[in-house]
Amino acid sequence: MSSAWQFYISSVLIYLGVDIMACWGLNLQFGYAGLVNFSFIVFQAAGAYTAAVLTLGRPGPASIQQYLGGAHWPFPLPVLAAGAVGALLAAGVGAIGLRRLRSDYEAMVMLVVSLIATSIATNQTNLVNGANGLDLVPKPLAAVLHVSPLSYQWFYVAMTAVVCGLVFLLVTLITGSPLGRSLRAMRENERAAAALGRNVTGLRMLAFVVGGGIAGISGAILVMFISAWSPGSWLYPETFVYFTALIVGGSGNNMGAVVGALLVPVAFLEATRFLPQFGPPGFIDAVQWIAIGLLALVFLWFWPRGVVPERRRRFPRARSQLAATEGGQLEQNAP
Amino acid sequence: MNLLLPAIGFGVVTASILALAGVGFTLQFGVTNILNLAYGSIMTGAAFAALLVSQRGVNLWIAVAAGGAFGAVFSVALNRVVYTPFIRRGTRLFGMIIVTISVALVVQYGIQAIWGASFFSLEGLHASAIQLGAFAFTTTQLGILGIGVGAMIAVHALLRYTTLGKAMRATATNVELARNCGIATDRVIDLAWAISGCLCGLAGVALVINVTAFTDTTGSDLLIPIIAVAVLGGIGQAYGAMLGALIIGITSEIAAALISPDYKDVVAFVILIAVLLVRPKGIFSEIASGKEVAA
Repeated sequence: MSSAWQFYISSVLIYLGVDIMACWGLNLQFGYAGLVNFSFIVFQAAGAYTAAVLTLGRPGPASIQQYLGGAHWPFPLPVLAAGAVGALLAAGVGAIGLRRLRSDYEAMVMLVVSLIATSIATNQTNLVNGANGLDLVPKPLAAVLHVSPLSYQWFYVAMTAVVCGLVFLLVTLITGSPLGRSLRAMRENERAAAALGRNVTGLRMLAFVVGGGIAGISGAILVMFISAWSPGSWLYPETFVYFTALIVGGSGNNMGAVVGALLVPVAFLEATRFLPQFGPPGFIDAVQWIAIGLLALVFLWFWPRGVVPERRRRFPRARSQLAATEGGQLEQNAP
Repeated sequence: MNLLLPAIGFGVVTASILALAGVGFTLQFGVTNILNLAYGSIMTGAAFAALLVSQRGVNLWIAVAAGGAFGAVFSVALNRVVYTPFIRRGTRLFGMIIVTISVALVVQYGIQAIWGASFFSLEGLHASAIQLGAFAFTTTQLGILGIGVGAMIAVHALLRYTTLGKAMRATATNVELARNCGIATDRVIDLAWAISGCLCGLAGVALVINVTAFTDTTGSDLLIPIIAVAVLGGIGQAYGAMLGALIIGITSEIAAALISPDYKDVVAFVILIAVLLVRPKGIFSEIASGKEVAA
């Protein structure tokens, strides 16, 4: 395999890892807890800015980019800090924004949060360098490893895979446990879950904060690879791409999120970035967005539960016991 | 004070555009209960329809009418071809958000794919300044004010004095009850889309007359202020939306003059979030329909 192909494939794999993590985070919020977080991309952006600022060092008065703070933290720390910032920001936004609103109103609140965040990051130029964004983010461990650029690509792929694995452990720890069952119960019927003694407010916050933390980590991995980050990288339609991924893949299960990440952001958007451009400038971009919109419509029409539908959970023994006594059924209603 | 007066003047012009768009948005949302996030893109579409007409060298008022007509036809078709079939298939709140955002993306980027991402302006605009008391307006601004006030009077007359208006208000309050009273709610819903779409188209053309140069995102950039107007006035409340448009139009222009033009939209954003979190039924909920907003 030629080295150009290796660069191409390794880059796509890294984007895939980032998108899978992001989809798991959003799936925890939307697929399991039913939170319509249309500001998801803001938490990824917050993580990316955190990781960038913590590796770039302090800006001098003559630097080309101005930002708040700055440090040279050794490698794994900026990623962890990015996760922490994503989670903290989610706690703040969640404390103000997560009310019991109808889901289209909730989506609206979150959409506006996304627009406000973009507006602040763009206009407060001393915060994260305004519309130009941050650039020249150093690659982690590149100075220590002393390897060829190609070997470094594969090292980064391996590192992304490890981080993905850790995030997967965290996500399955939540979704595979009674806690995950409580989240799904809340999604299906909030009042019933509350009546059965579940702390609904706490559950919503938990899903929102953990999802925000995962988004932050995905942003850190992304920015350390592409080395630049600006408000143009996280406009609100990017959140729509992740939602489309969950619809296509199948929300409410972690495999569906993986399939969605593979099909939508990677196959549809990332991979075509490497293809030759044709038509007037911006034409390919426009066609990509039209295709994403049509894809969401087609899947909602024909396969609203996605390629990998959420498994219907059955409880045979409990059901037969119940049938013997009351004739009721415990089978959970899928959405 | 010397900054404040012109800001109020600009605010009234912005408010006319917001009132056109906001009343259209709130009527449609109130009657059909669909949060149509493609509304801003349809405004842009109407502006480009007006551009096509104005390039043929006709009177600007014909271009304005063309924009309104495009909005009405497109909205009715959109409802018939996309939204209603999805609802019949059981797509609900979250799914419908995804449907309307998809349509918004397809329309907006469709325009970008056809016309390219550059700036356009309507032909036949001749602006000259006119002094009205303490305010200085251009003739185009007065034209926008005229469109706004005229459309608002027409909406008022429609809602107050016609059977159709009564049927629309009834449908917005309670669809089931209206249907049981013998109102042909399907036809009312069609007409609501047509009227809302016409206002949407007029707003789109008024908007691009006001900003002079527009792109494929001009309409959708105004979407959140429009939603803020509708929510502030109470969903389905045309008069509430008119008042909401005045409040948001004037405060955002004052904020632009006194703080920074960069934060013009943030005023609308903050008002929207505050109203949704504190009083989601809007400021006029005593007369509002009592739709269930809180889950």
